[in-house]
Amino acid sequence: MSKKITRRKFLKSAVMGGVALGTGLGGYRVTYGQAKKPAGPIKIGGQGAISGAHADYGWQMMAGSTMAIEQINAKGGILGRKLELKFMDEELKPATAVKNARYLATDWGADFLFGVDSSGSAMAIGPVLPELNRLFFFTHAATHRLTEELVYQKGIKQIFRLVAPVYQDALAAWVFKDNPEIKRWAGINCDYEYGYVAWNLFKENIRKFRPDVEFVAAAWAPFWTMDFSSHISAVMAEKPDAIFATPWAGEGVMLLRQALMLGVFDKIQAWWQGMGGSVDLLEGVSREIEGDKFKGKLWATARYIHNYPVSPENKAFVEAFRKRWGRFPNYSAEGSYSTIYAIKAGAEKAKTLETGKVGAALEGMELNTPGGMRLIRKEDHQAVYTVPAGRAMKSPDYTIPILGDLKVIPAKDYFRQPPFTPVAATK
Amino acid sequence: MLEKILFQTLIGLSFSMYLWLLASGLTLVFGVLGVLNFAHGSLFMLGAYATFTFYGKLGLNFWVSIALSLISVGVIGAVLERLFIRRIYEIDLPYQLILTFGFILIFDDLVKMIWGGVAMIPPMPRFFEGNLSILGRAFPIYNLFIIFAGLAVAIVLWLLLERTWWGRMIRASASDREMASAIGINIPFLFTTVFVLSAMLAALGGALGTPVRVVAPGIGTAMIIQAFVITVIGGLGNLKGAFVGALIVGILTSYGILLFPIFELFIIFVVMAAVLMVKPEGLFGK
Repeated sequence: MSKKITRRKFLKSAVMGGVALGTGLGGYRVTYGQAKKPAGPIKIGGQGAISGAHADYGWQMMAGSTMAIEQINAKGGILGRKLELKFMDEELKPATAVKNARYLATDWGADFLFGVDSSGSAMAIGPVLPELNRLFFFTHAATHRLTEELVYQKGIKQIFRLVAPVYQDALAAWVFKDNPEIKRWAGINCDYEYGYVAWNLFKENIRKFRPDVEFVAAAWAPFWTMDFSSHISAVMAEKPDAIFATPWAGEGVMLLRQALMLGVFDKIQAWWQGMGGSVDLLEGVSREIEGDKFKGKLWATARYIHNYPVSPENKAFVEAFRKRWGRFPNYSAEGSYSTIYAIKAGAEKAKTLETGKVGAALEGMELNTPGGMRLIRKEDHQAVYTVPAGRAMKSPDYTIPILGDLKVIPAKDYFRQPPFTPVAATK
Repeated sequence: MLEKILFQTLIGLSFSMYLWLLASGLTLVFGVLGVLNFAHGSLFMLGAYATFTFYGKLGLNFWVSIALSLISVGVIGAVLERLFIRRIYEIDLPYQLILTFGFILIFDDLVKMIWGGVAMIPPMPRFFEGNLSILGRAFPIYNLFIIFAGLAVAIVLWLLLERTWWGRMIRASASDREMASAIGINIPFLFTTVFVLSAMLAALGGALGTPVRVVAPGIGTAMIIQAFVITVIGGLGNLKGAFVGALIVGILTSYGILLFPIFELFIIFVVMAAVLMVKPEGLFGK
């Protein structure tokens, strides 16, 4: 139709636009907390996904850490100094995450760093930490390589991870090993490192218990997948007995809703939704759980569940969180909350904020947290603690669904141990 | 195997229709106005947010919510065209890019200020729940509805352009703006109506997705790349091309997930490259 614009010009602009979309969107930055002050608060720099379909995770990190900081400040701070938080958007992009970490450590002057949802971002930040000379507490990014490769093999001692890694997703192997009727497994997984490793670890472990299982189909969904019907229909074509799924946050909710529309729960025996125990996901499918649309076949775990463990610490944490924020805490909230208390414990034991000394103080430490007793393993700086799996259901004691019929398997059984045998981080 | 592929074709077809709704407005504005509107995805996102607000928050009827959302985004489109887009018709494409790209950032931030960054999922209307048995498998009523909605939009657009006075004016001014103006067509007003129609098509795409999809900042940019691929494959500014391009991209993506899950993501880009090599002006381009 129009002759004014040639095809070449159009393509040139389209490419420029594509580049601009890719890089320009990195420009958003949301910050919390105050500007630099001369008096000396201890500065804590966090980052997580606070935009897009996964934005609730960054919000939960911010909510959990803010609450811990308020509590600690109310009691006089750490080593007599108050805490101050600045929280940035990592956008699930490694380049942005590294830029944030550099900015927080050098320009803003953070004493400690924490956060990050994306495994890709975590793997990019890790190698920079010795140069920045700061401890970084990872509160969500789940790839096993962060602690197994970067800490255990390469000796980057600045890395700590307070939350359960991708070992947690493979818990499905222990949950379903005694179900002989479930033989044919299919996977609908994230088309990035987390999805690859979760699926590989699950396959490796369930094969040990059940040499008879088959893996009949695998579909892969990248970030920003909104229509999962092709993925669901592709794996359902192979008539699986059960489905192992890892898309999380809003994507997990969409996946489950679209699976319901495709009648999946009439055909299968069980659906494992790796991080389905997270609050945002339980809220997202709350109506469907109440209406028993999943027919009791929806199983999940998380890196912490708000109804476990039944302890005074957890009860106090959940109540305080609900009072402060009007919602239930998910695992990145609990992980970030516990991280701030780990910083406190480490700094108070070392009696300094020096990176090396606080790191050494934390090695082998046991922390009593809302999520239970966490042991910070010396070899790989991974916190070891048990999180059960359960069936998504409604409980009269909670306003949102919970995981019930809990299967508690001790962390030492399903957490990988050093020395680590390699696991492929590919499809 | 044949049944698997047929069923996957149907699933892919419903995906194609979302893409078609987005690509149709994009290619229409490019073909008639000569403007490459990068912010088209933002209008899609605004359609989703508006529907979410009317239906999910205010509890209005689903169809009323969609209508209100189309009107709201149409008004936004009219304002955009009158105040901004109009000024760039005569200047180079890179300026259009800068202006419309700026709107992406502005709309994404506005949405965050109004609705927050957290993804939201409105409830599904009851009449869309459930499925039909097709080829012995369950096919969602909702996907069937999307297929018919997409086809209906294609027919209505075709009738509008080929069978109405307005369509004739559009075709006339698309082929020769000055001549059309000389014979008395009010070009500025006509262009506003085209831009509004394009905005409403984008909004319809966003609105129809709300019951099953997430509403979040960035959903527009996530879709727009595919829409550009479609317009390149089909031929720039060509509606028929956009329709065929959407079918190709939607169905091939769906096949890829079934047959080649390991490298499904770049199949459509391979197709685009192949089209560019064999017929650089696109399948239906002149």
